Order: sequence, then C-alpha cells, then structure tokens
Amino acid sequence: MNRNIINIEDSKIFNFILKNKIIIFLYFSILVLFILGTILSRGFISYDHVLSILRIASFLGIVSMGQTIVILTGGIDLSVGSLITMGNLFTCMFINGINSNTLWVLIVMILLGSLFGSFNGFGIAYLKIPPLVMTLALGSVLTGINLIFTRGAGKGLASPILRYISTGRLFDFISLIILIWAVLSVFFILLLNSFTFGRKIYYIGANEKAAFLSGIKTNLIKTLAYSISGATSSLTGALMAGYTVTAFLGIGNEYILWSITAVVIGGTSLTGGKGGYLGTIAGCILLVLIESILTVAQIPEAGRRIANGLLILILISIYFKKR
Amino acid sequence: MIEKQRDLSLYLPVYLIAIVIYIIAGIVEPVFFTWNNNINLFTRITPLVLAALAQTFVILTGGIDLSIGSIISLTNVVSASLFCLNKLEYITMVLFIVPLLGLATGLINGFIITKGEFSPLIVTLATGAIWQGVALIIMPIPGGEVDLSISRTLTGKIFNLIPFPLLIFLFFIFISYFILKKTEFGRSIYALGGNETIAYESGIACKKIKFMAYGVSGVLGAFTGIFLSAWIFSGDPLVGSPYILNSIAVAVIGGTSLSGGKGGVLGIIGGAYIFLLISNILNLWGISTFYQYVVKGLIIIFALIISAGGLIKLRNFLVSFYFDKIIKNWKGGEQKYYKH
Repeated sequence: MNRNIINIEDSKIFNFILKNKIIIFLYFSILVLFILGTILSRGFISYDHVLSILRIASFLGIVSMGQTIVILTGGIDLSVGSLITMGNLFTCMFINGINSNTLWVLIVMILLGSLFGSFNGFGIAYLKIPPLVMTLALGSVLTGINLIFTRGAGKGLASPILRYISTGRLFDFISLIILIWAVLSVFFILLLNSFTFGRKIYYIGANEKAAFLSGIKTNLIKTLAYSISGATSSLTGALMAGYTVTAFLGIGNEYILWSITAVVIGGTSLTGGKGGYLGTIAGCILLVLIESILTVAQIPEAGRRIANGLLILILISIYFKKR
Repeated sequence: MIEKQRDLSLYLPVYLIAIVIYIIAGIVEPVFFTWNNNINLFTRITPLVLAALAQTFVILTGGIDLSIGSIISLTNVVSASLFCLNKLEYITMVLFIVPLLGLATGLINGFIITKGEFSPLIVTLATGAIWQGVALIIMPIPGGEVDLSISRTLTGKIFNLIPFPLLIFLFFIFISYFILKKTEFGRSIYALGGNETIAYESGIACKKIKFMAYGVSGVLGAFTGIFLSAWIFSGDPLVGSPYILNSIAVAVIGGTSLSGGKGGVLGIIGGAYIFLLISNILNLWGISTFYQYVVKGLIIIFALIISAGGLIKLRNFLVSFYFDKIIKNWKGGEQKYYKH
C-alpha cells in the first residue's frame, strides 16, 4: 500500500515551490499590484506603461546586481549613490554629445567604477574596516570628487547613440535597456549559481572563517565582489546619462536606499549567504510599481517615504519570521 | 586599574590629534584662540556630540542606528512648531514631550529589532524613512519660528561667563559616562556588545538591554533636535540627514569600535573637535567646500584603519606581498628535505 502513495515531499515541484516561496510570493504580489493599479487608473496595464515601469526598474536592477553580490558576502555598499552620480557626470562630460566617444567612455566608466569598488573591497577585506562605514566614507570622498570635477554644475551632453540605448525601442517593440538588463541578469544569475566564483560568494556569506579554512581566497573574492558592485553602479550612471541627457548632481542619492531595499525585499538576507538575484529582480519591479501606484493615487513625498519604510518592515517580518 | 589604562590608551591619541589640529588652526588664524571663537565652537559642536552619544549607545550593543537623522529631524520639527507658540507652558512642554517622542521612536526601533531579531541596519533604515515622512507631513518646508529669548538662552552664556552649550554637552557626556560605567544597565551594554551569547548565558537580559539602549539613543536624538531648533531659530524637516554619517564618524573617531563592546563616550568631544576643526581649517585656508567631502571621507577611512588595527594588517599585507617569493622558496626547500 505504502508504495503507491506518492510522498509529496519527494516531488520536484513541491520542493521547487518550497525553496523559492519568497520569489513566488513576490511575483504574485507584482501581479496583484498590477490589478490594483488597473482599478485605480485604466491605462495602468497598457503595454506602454508596463514597458515604462520595466525601463525604470532596469536602472535599479543593474545597480542592485552589485548590491546583491555584496550583500551575499555579508557586507553592504553605501557608495553606490556617489558612484552612479560619478558615472552620470563623467559620461556626459567625456561624451559631450559625440557618438564616436560613446564606446570608450562606457568602457572607461566601467573600469573606473570597478577601481573605486576595489578600493572599498581592499579596505574591507584586507584592512578589516566595517563595510558600512568604509563605503559610506568612500561615498563621501566620491561626492567630493564629483563636485571638484564639475565645479558644482553638470556639463556636457549624452550622445544620440547613448540616448537610443537608454530610451529607444528595438523594432518598435521592446526597450533596448530592458533587453540589456535581461541579458546582464541571465549572465549574473549564471555567475552566481553555476560558476565557482558565485558559489564562493555564498560560502563566504554563510561562514567566512569556514570558507577561508577550506582554501577559498576570501579577501580576494570579497574585493572582487565590491569591484563588481562599483562597476555596475557606475555603468548605471552612464546609462542614466542617456535617459536624462544632461548630467545631474543628485541623481544617485535615492538609489542607495532603493538598491538595498530591492535586495532585502527580494529575500536576500543582510547577514549574507542566503538569497539570489531572481528575488532582487522581483524586488526592483515591486518597488517601481509601488512608486508608480502611489503617484497614480497622488500621494505626496512624505506618504511615499512612509509607505517605503512600512513596506520594508512588513516584508522582512514575513520573510525572517522566527519559527 | 587595567580598565583605566586601556581607556587612556584609547582616548589619548584622539585628544592629542585634536589638540594638534587646534594649534594648527590657531597658527593659521590667531583669532582662533579668542574666547568668542571658542564659544562659537562649543555651540557648533553640541549637536554633533549629542548625536554621537546617541549613536554610541547603539554601537556599543553591536548595532547601528541609521534612523538617528530622521529622529533629529522629527524632534526638531516638532519642537520648532511648539516653540513658536511662545508661552512658558509650551516651552516647558517641549522639554518634556519631545524627549518622550524621541524615547518612543527609539523604543519602536528597539522593539522591532529585538522582537524579530532583524538586522538593525535594515530596520533603522526603514523606520528612518517613516520618521522622515512624518517630519515632512508636520512641516513640508523649513519653517516655524523659535522665540529669540529661547535661542539666546540655549546658545548664550550663563552669568555672562559660562557658555550654556558647554554645560549642555558636558552634562550629557557626564550622564552617559555614569550610565555606561557605573550602572548595571551600562555594564550589560558592554557585556552584550562584546559577546552576546556569553552575556546571555551569564544571565543578562540581552533583549531588554538592547531595547533600552535604543530608547536612550532616541532620547539623546530628541535633545539634539531641540538644540538644533534653538540654534537655527526654526524647524527644518531635513536638518538631521547629515548627522547619520557624522554621528557614526564621530563615535568611531572617538574610539568606539563598530563591532560593539569596545569604546566609550569620553573620546567623543575629541572626535567631534577633529571632525569640526578640519572643515574650519579648510575654510580658513579658503579651500572650496567641495574638497571637504573628500577630506572628511579620508579622515574617517584613516581613523577606521587605525581603530581596526589596520596599520599592522597593512604592513603584514605589504610584507607578505614582497616576501611571498622568499617564503615560498623556503617552504619548497623544506618540503624537499622531508621528501628525502
């Protein structure tokens, strides 16, 4: 008799749901929010609006890549805001509206971002400075550098190609930036799950001492994680230059809080070692969606901040409930 | 005795650096040594010291409070809107109600953190967003008016001699020192910051102590808000935001370790002076404020390197970098020997 009964705990689908319940919950709530938005305003679920939400989410998504990998190692990166601003300002300054400059400027921006990111990583991994303060302090240094180089006002223009990358549509169907995000996401999820580098990140986050003792070069991997975070944030700033066309000094400030929120509500634990980028994607879309719904419902700035704070508190109390 | 020696070695460098910077500032601009300028410095340093005190209580438990900026903003806005009513009852009300408000905000932080065992970082980030929102609802744009007599009292001199801000921050530092060193609550904070498991096993109610530490932090944040409203004559819903970084920086420069359980409040005055005087010197030299961000960031990084024992680690890193080859050769030779 017993042989005929299928043990539900052995079934693959059940295990999948159990493992990814946070992610499933998140995508489900995205669906619910879309329906809620449609009730508030009829055009909410139109193709154009969905695309525009995804387009805004893709900038957040690219920053959150770096933030995810850093939080997975058990750290945190508060310098993303200044790095985004730096990417934005320098891209506009160097490109200055000329198409042929675009490629090398983008490459230089990625390299510059990873350089500053590895400064963070060096301080945190080798000099054992707490990540929170190290990145906060480097963020302050970068803000100063931004101000010194621009003398307080953004200069330059984004080139038409960059503008097309950030706002244009491929075959009049899907935005190019969303495609870039999708490609980067696939690569990033592969990096985290299928490469040894990604596995090492998880080990370090779960137990750094054990990872070190089992022969992982923890300091090097951590430094690399921070430099990836630097690269993605400065790339986001460069891509945003195409969106805003001119440079803007305060562009990155919101993204410090936003990227951490997206990662945390995506189910990645701040102590490290648990979570992944798939949840972060959902977190990014969820954040932008809620922002959009609050805009539709005409709620002022103060209300939005309160709503964001409450959202984080509610979601972390759902995820990390004690058993 | 050992504790006193340890404290001395912790605080002495801070004050030495502060005095050196003070003397440099005085050489650059002789006006610096005048009593009037010092009174001005006392006024400017008070909110920094109070915010750093608030942060220290939380950092000593091993946590961090990113909502301190919003608590300062909220209490500043509330006290500015109460002060402008300009009656004695309201003024006394401010001194009772606003600290209670701060206590409530701090205790809510502590409640969520201890009840759910969440990371203090993300909880205070979230509650900070909420308090900021509430502050913006109460006062969307900077406004309100504080009666001039209140401001003159709080930032002025007693008997035309002793500056009141000096008394304020010395008072709070004394109280905090007393709480941390002489009471059971304070000793428990150190114990659980050092090692929570051991503290719990030796009978300390860790959750209760943590909860209360956040409460104390909230009260001190509220006093910062009150002082700021008296100093700037008005309320500003965003006045607290620089104090998030600054309070952490001053606490760390003042010798408190971010991993908890190490440090104290006596270094805070020195830390605050270092932090403030450097931007003062840069101002005196006519260097643009843009560079001050860079300098402040670098100072914090440098202080952190020292406080984390990073100089030794840096030396070890460099040594191992240069002598890696020699060591490897040596090890190889050793292995050969064993093979034979």
